[in-house]
Amino acid sequence: MKIFIRFANLLSISLGWIARPVLIALVISMLYEVFVRFFLNAPTKWAFDISYMLNGSIFILGAGYALYHNDHVKIDFLSTKIPSKIKCYIDIVLYGLMLSPVIAGLSWVAIQRAIRAFERGEVEAVSPWAPLMWPFYSIIAIGLLVLFIQCIAVVARCYLDINKSKDTLQE
Amino acid sequence: MEILPFLMFLFLFGFILLGLPVAFSLTLVAAGAGYILFQDMFLMQLYRQVVKVSSDFILASIPLFILMGAILERAGIAMRLFNAFQTLTARLPGGVGVASLAMCGVFAAATGVVGAVEIVVGIMAIPAMQKLKYNNSLIAGTVCAGGSLGTIIPPSVIAIVYAALAQMSVGQLFAAAMFPGLIMLGLFILYIMIYSYFQSSSSKNTDAQKTDTVHKTTWELIKIVSVGLLPATFLIITVLGSLLAGIASPTEAAAVGVGGAFLLMFAYGEFSIKKLIDALDTTIRITAMIMLIVVAGTMFTGIFIVAGGASMVRELVSFMGDETWQVILVMLVIVFIIGFVMDWISIVLICVPIFMPIVRSFGIDPIWFAVMMMVVIQTSYLTPPMAPSIFYLKSIAPKDMTYGQMCRGVIPFVIIQFIVLIIVAAFPLVATWLPGQLSAKF
Amino acid sequence: DQIKWRMPAAVPEGSFFYENFMVRFSKNVELLTGGRLEIQPFGAGVVVPAFEIYSAVEDGIIEAGHSTPTFLINRDPVNAIFAGFPGGMAPETKVHWIYEGGGLEMLQDYRLKNMGLKSLVVGIGTTEVFAHSHSAIQEAENLKGLRYRTAGPWAEILGNYFDGAPTVVPPGEIFTLLQRRGVDAVEWATPGSNLSEGFHEIAEYLAVPGVHQPTFLWEVVVKEDTWNKLPNELKPLVEAAAKLTTMESLVHFGHSDILSMDQYANTNKVVELSPELIEQVRSAGRDWINTKISDNSTGSETAAILESYLEYQDRWARNSFYLLHD
Ligand code: NA
Ligand code: NA
Repeated sequence: MKIFIRFANLLSISLGWIARPVLIALVISMLYEVFVRFFLNAPTKWAFDISYMLNGSIFILGAGYALYHNDHVKIDFLSTKIPSKIKCYIDIVLYGLMLSPVIAGLSWVAIQRAIRAFERGEVEAVSPWAPLMWPFYSIIAIGLLVLFIQCIAVVARCYLDINKSKDTLQE
Repeated sequence: MEILPFLMFLFLFGFILLGLPVAFSLTLVAAGAGYILFQDMFLMQLYRQVVKVSSDFILASIPLFILMGAILERAGIAMRLFNAFQTLTARLPGGVGVASLAMCGVFAAATGVVGAVEIVVGIMAIPAMQKLKYNNSLIAGTVCAGGSLGTIIPPSVIAIVYAALAQMSVGQLFAAAMFPGLIMLGLFILYIMIYSYFQSSSSKNTDAQKTDTVHKTTWELIKIVSVGLLPATFLIITVLGSLLAGIASPTEAAAVGVGGAFLLMFAYGEFSIKKLIDALDTTIRITAMIMLIVVAGTMFTGIFIVAGGASMVRELVSFMGDETWQVILVMLVIVFIIGFVMDWISIVLICVPIFMPIVRSFGIDPIWFAVMMMVVIQTSYLTPPMAPSIFYLKSIAPKDMTYGQMCRGVIPFVIIQFIVLIIVAAFPLVATWLPGQLSAKF
Repeated sequence: DQIKWRMPAAVPEGSFFYENFMVRFSKNVELLTGGRLEIQPFGAGVVVPAFEIYSAVEDGIIEAGHSTPTFLINRDPVNAIFAGFPGGMAPETKVHWIYEGGGLEMLQDYRLKNMGLKSLVVGIGTTEVFAHSHSAIQEAENLKGLRYRTAGPWAEILGNYFDGAPTVVPPGEIFTLLQRRGVDAVEWATPGSNLSEGFHEIAEYLAVPGVHQPTFLWEVVVKEDTWNKLPNELKPLVEAAAKLTTMESLVHFGHSDILSMDQYANTNKVVELSPELIEQVRSAGRDWINTKISDNSTGSETAAILESYLEYQDRWARNSFYLLHD
């Protein structure tokens, strides 16, 4: 269980690390477009697509990472009043039985979509650059998959917490 | 079937109250209702909303403005800036609050994305205001309300989406929102000054007395102001200047701001790899959090409309009276009430297509009405429980600032927004004069 | 028993295109089928993203969708023939080719064979505005280095044949960028529907006619199974509703274009492209489509479609001098 949690955290942290150079690339691609369009009168065909793909990647790569840091915004004025053990059971139900299957399903659809885009050589619908879509779809699939794994890790952590408090009681 | 839209809200609040993150609560409800409506196709439908939001170019200004704020904060430039603003406004009651709102006004003119202004100013303003012992409610209210200016002072994404749905000119709508936006900014500032002036205890003193500005020589003060204001002026020139000069689009202007912040970090000798990595890290976490709410909100809205949410609103409107003012009032009240539980994009998507035929058939000036709508939609950004401003604030707020303080803090500002609404309602020229001047000149 | 189709559009609810195509079509279907088929229209982005309508119908997420073959050109260039391309058919010619010259059958065969979709043409448009611009555009030399917001085939042709600087701008930022002169020119849609975009309020010049997009075509697509499940007596009624909608919406486009041109004449400098430039765009467009089709040849079928199209356009050009124009 602990090994699994460590594995999930490692995955989330790695994606968080990967997102950093992606963020720098987003800044550079936009600045490059601004420069060549205004000063050289030569806008690129690719900066628009690259920029939105990089932005989408940052978000989806960071989703699991933010969950690992417990960053996602919640309203906790009521839930903090619930005893922590009951809160753990609630979280196991919410994350384990409800959210995880949905995120897993989304990951599955995302993987299928990436594979289909790869097999058919799908390109962007209206872009003059017409980039292949499978790399972007693959990043979305990876991000969702890691978010799913991190959801399971939340459940695992709750499970450990419950058992820990049992141990304390026995002592 | 008509029961489904109600159930969606019921479950949404249930999940949120159980402490599940807002984004996940929205996702779960969308998934549950989506299954009822689309059967085994629901995951594919929801997945497409993930792709849609991930592919939205305009949303790229979110990480960019956050990164700009984070770099300024890490490099200590934000602090310098606040020292300068503090010095300038120190003799005013509520000086730093005034300074924060002025900053919000400036950045609101540079970006149209909801949340961007709030985060970039909040990262700088919150520590400064806490240092001066402003109470948490006032800090929260100031930052949330200041952030809401980003959506009414043009450019504004809300105006663009509204115009597309209402078949109106974006330019006209931008122009129409200009004066109401500035009036709102002025009233916010006035409120902070009056509040700070009359508040008992310590804050009766001006910021000048709390800091040591009073003991400094004029020369020292000039130095603080110029050292602090120089980088800010530089940044404002790069962001706003690149936008106004047509060098960059509103989204790209955010990237120019990051470039500027980065240069400043070097110029002030504050650059280090560690600070840069820290800034990147903060940005990624906040971006992920905000974008996940946007994605989940998009899923929720789509399902809500398919579930019959739009026809529910249509039925509500049919209860209204026959007089023009009654009709306007009913529509605005509906928007205000929906604003408690939905965000602006859902409100615009659901209400505008329903309201526009009514507005036209009653001969109401669509521009005047649009501005009143936009002011009321502003309140939805602040009104809990679904208050995007509070969610964004939570992402950058110190741990000792509670949800309750935030909710209390926004109330006076919502009231001010109502005053602006009354001004626009009573004097339509506030909204319609500038658009009228716009035509026929280039 | 009533049949219900959810049908998302690729344009926002309430927009000119939405009212003219979607709302009209759903009303016509209700009228002709006596309410036995209900079309439930949705604006862009509510159910599925605008550019994903075709694939969402293919996947079976929604029963039907309304979109334009323009969004499929990158996937398969033959769609440019149906959608219209720079120098392609004028609206008048297009309607005749579609309904009398075999165009509709070719489109329907192609959709069925390649995507498993039933296609109904719902919407043929009038000529778009060539550009709202800060400078007069009349000759090919005016296009050199021009930062011109556009998309699709015209972006490619503008860059490759006219040394222009096609610029990709998301819809939400076009207005601001044109206003600040970050781009010199934008093309968007028809004169009547552009009015509400407000481009004419911030850019002095208006260049016409839009030889880059002389007309456009939209279609409703339905999955083959869904279509086959429709009672046989309803099918011709739905087809008739589609044709009626196309005809009604075309004259509505034309009517509002003519009215709006008066308005532009009062506030803007309306300039006409020179006959030379129109001819140059025509030949560049033909060159482009011929290259695309022969490069991506999926067999003799696409070549036959292009041949039919070009022949019909030539025949119309050869003989239409008999037609009186006001
Ligand atoms: Na703004
Ligand atoms: Na709200």
